Amino acid sequence: MSEIDIALKVLDHQIVDCDGRRCGKVDDLAIEGGAGETARVTAILAGPGYWPERAGWIGRLARAIGGGRRVRVPWEDVAGIEAHVLLRRTARDLGLGRGDDRARPWVEWIPGAHRK
Amino acid sequence: MSKIFGVALGILAAIGGFVDIGDLVFNVAAGATFGYQLLWVLPIGVLGIIVYSEMCGRVAAVSKKAVFDAVRERVGFSAGLSTLIASEVVNLMTLAAEVGGIAISLQLLCGLPYRWLIALGVLGLGLVIWVTSFEWIERIFGYGGLCLLVFAVGAVKLSPAWGKAAHGFIPHVSQNNSLLYLYFVVGLLGAAMTPYEVYFYSSGGVEEEWTPKDLGLNRANAIIGYALGGSLSVALMVTGAALFLNKGISPEHLGTIALGAQVPLGEVGLLFALVGILFAVGGAAIDTTFAGAYNLAQFCGWEWGRYRSAAKAPRFVLSWMALLLLALVIVMTGVDAVVLTEYAVLFSVVALPLTYVPILLVANDVAYMGDHRNGKLANVLGVAYLVVIAAVALSAIPLMILTNVGQN
Amino acid sequence: MRTLSSLMGRRVQTESGDSLGRVYDLRCALTERTLTVKGLVVGTRGELEHLGLVSRTRTPIPWSDVVRIERTRIVVRDREP
Repeated sequence: MSEIDIALKVLDHQIVDCDGRRCGKVDDLAIEGGAGETARVTAILAGPGYWPERAGWIGRLARAIGGGRRVRVPWEDVAGIEAHVLLRRTARDLGLGRGDDRARPWVEWIPGAHRK
Repeated sequence: MSKIFGVALGILAAIGGFVDIGDLVFNVAAGATFGYQLLWVLPIGVLGIIVYSEMCGRVAAVSKKAVFDAVRERVGFSAGLSTLIASEVVNLMTLAAEVGGIAISLQLLCGLPYRWLIALGVLGLGLVIWVTSFEWIERIFGYGGLCLLVFAVGAVKLSPAWGKAAHGFIPHVSQNNSLLYLYFVVGLLGAAMTPYEVYFYSSGGVEEEWTPKDLGLNRANAIIGYALGGSLSVALMVTGAALFLNKGISPEHLGTIALGAQVPLGEVGLLFALVGILFAVGGAAIDTTFAGAYNLAQFCGWEWGRYRSAAKAPRFVLSWMALLLLALVIVMTGVDAVVLTEYAVLFSVVALPLTYVPILLVANDVAYMGDHRNGKLANVLGVAYLVVIAAVALSAIPLMILTNVGQN
Repeated sequence: MRTLSSLMGRRVQTESGDSLGRVYDLRCALTERTLTVKGLVVGTRGELEHLGLVSRTRTPIPWSDVVRIERTRIVVRDREP
C-alpha cells in the first residue's frame, strides 16, 4: 500500500494502455462514498465530454471541437501509477483512443503511413 | 571517438538551426537602427534560451514529460487550456512568418512568382517531414543553415569599428529614441528565446527516451550549440550596423538582409546568404510545425511522436498537416512576411511566461524531479529569467503600440 | 457518485464554523486493486504544496472527520484543541 495525492499524481496525467499506447488523459475521477462512509475512487473519467466541468465556457467550447465523448474506465483496470497511469487492458477494449481510430483512415492511405 | 564526432555534428546542426526569421529580421534591423548599441542583449537572450531549454530537457529526462504534459499536470486543465490556445496561436503566427521567409528566399533564388513559391514551400516542408527521417532533417537543415556563416565572414571583411562593437556589449539604454530602443530589446530577446524551440527540444528528449545519464551530454550540446548560434546573431547585427546604419536603409525585406553578405563578398556571398536563409528558416519551420502538433497532442493525451508511424499517431499527423495548411492560407493573404515576423516574435514574448512558469515549478518539484530538481544555480538563473521574461512580456504590447511596431 | 474536480477548491469548515481553507488534493491509499480516500489536503499551505513550492508534509484532514458534504462546502468535525 502506498499513499498518493490524486490531484497531483493521477488527475491530468497521461493514460497508457498495456501495449504502451497513449490513449488520453485522466480528465476526472469518479469517487463513490460520502461522509461517514469509505470513499473510493471507482473510475477514471476520460474524454472531451468531461471538459466543461473542468473549465467552464472554454471547456464547453473545447468539448464542442473535440466531440462530446465520455469514457469511464473502472479503477480495477488500472495496473499502476508511475509517471503515467498504466492500464491492464488495451485502449480498444476500454473504449479509449477512439479519436485516433477514427482519424486513422484519413491518413493510412498515404504511402509510407505505416513506416517507422 | 565517434561519440565526440556525434557531439560535434550535433553542435553544428544546432548552430545552423539557431537562427530563424525572427533573428534575421530583428538583429539586422537592430544594427541598422542603433549600430552596435544593442549587442549586450544577445548574450542575455542566449543564456535565457539555454536556461529554459536545460530545465525542459531535465524535466523530460527525469520525469519523462514534455512541456505540455507538465503544463497540464502542474496548472490544471483550465489554465493549461488557455496556455495551449495562446501557444498555438503564437506558434501558427511564427510558422506563417517562416513560410513567408521561405517563399521570399526561394523567389530571390529562382525568380518564380511569390504565390507559387508559398505553395511549393509548404508542399516541400510537408514532403520533407513525411519522407525524411529525423536525423536527416536535422543534418540537412542544420548544415544548410551553416551557410549563414557567410555573414560572419562578411562582417569581419567589412572592417567594422571593433572598439565600438565591444562597447556595445556593455548594457546601457540609448538616450535618444529610448522607446524604439526598448522595443528592439524586447524583440531581440523574443527572437532568441523562441518557445517553439523549447517545445521541440523537450518533446525530442521524451521521444529519445533520455534518462538522467543523458543530461550532461545534452546540456553541453545545448549550451555550446546555442552559444555559437548566438554568435551568428552577433554577426547579423554587426553587418546591419556596418552596412545600413545612418544610410537610411531599413532592412524591411529579406533581400536587403541578404545584401549584407553580397556587399562584402559579392555574388558568392549573396548565394550563400540566400541558401543559408532558406535552410535556417526552413529548419525552423519544421521545428515550429512539430512544436504545434506536439503541444496539442501532449495536452489532449493523443499518441504522438516523430518515431511513431503515421498510422499509429493519426491525429498528431493531421495536426501538423493542418498547421502547414493554415500557415499557407495566412501567407497567401499577402501579409508582409517581415511585419508578420515582428508580430510573431512580440506575441511569443507575451505568451512566454505561460509555459515558463509551469516548467520552473516542475523543475523545482521534488515529486517530479527527485534529486535532479533545480539546484541553487538553476534557481538563481531560473528566477532571474522569470523576472526578465515577465518584464519583457508586460512591456511588449505597449512598446509595439507606442513605437508603431518599430516604425516610430 | 461525485467527481474529484467537484471537490477541488471547495471550502472546508468545522462544525463550529472555523474556516480551514480549501481542498487542494485528496490523500489516498493505493493498493493493487483499490484507491481509497484517506483525507483532504487543505489550506493555503496546501496550495503551495500543490504547486510544489513547499514540501508535502502537512497532515491531511482524515476522511473519517468529514461530517457532511454540502453544495458549497465540506463540514468536518471540530479539531481537538
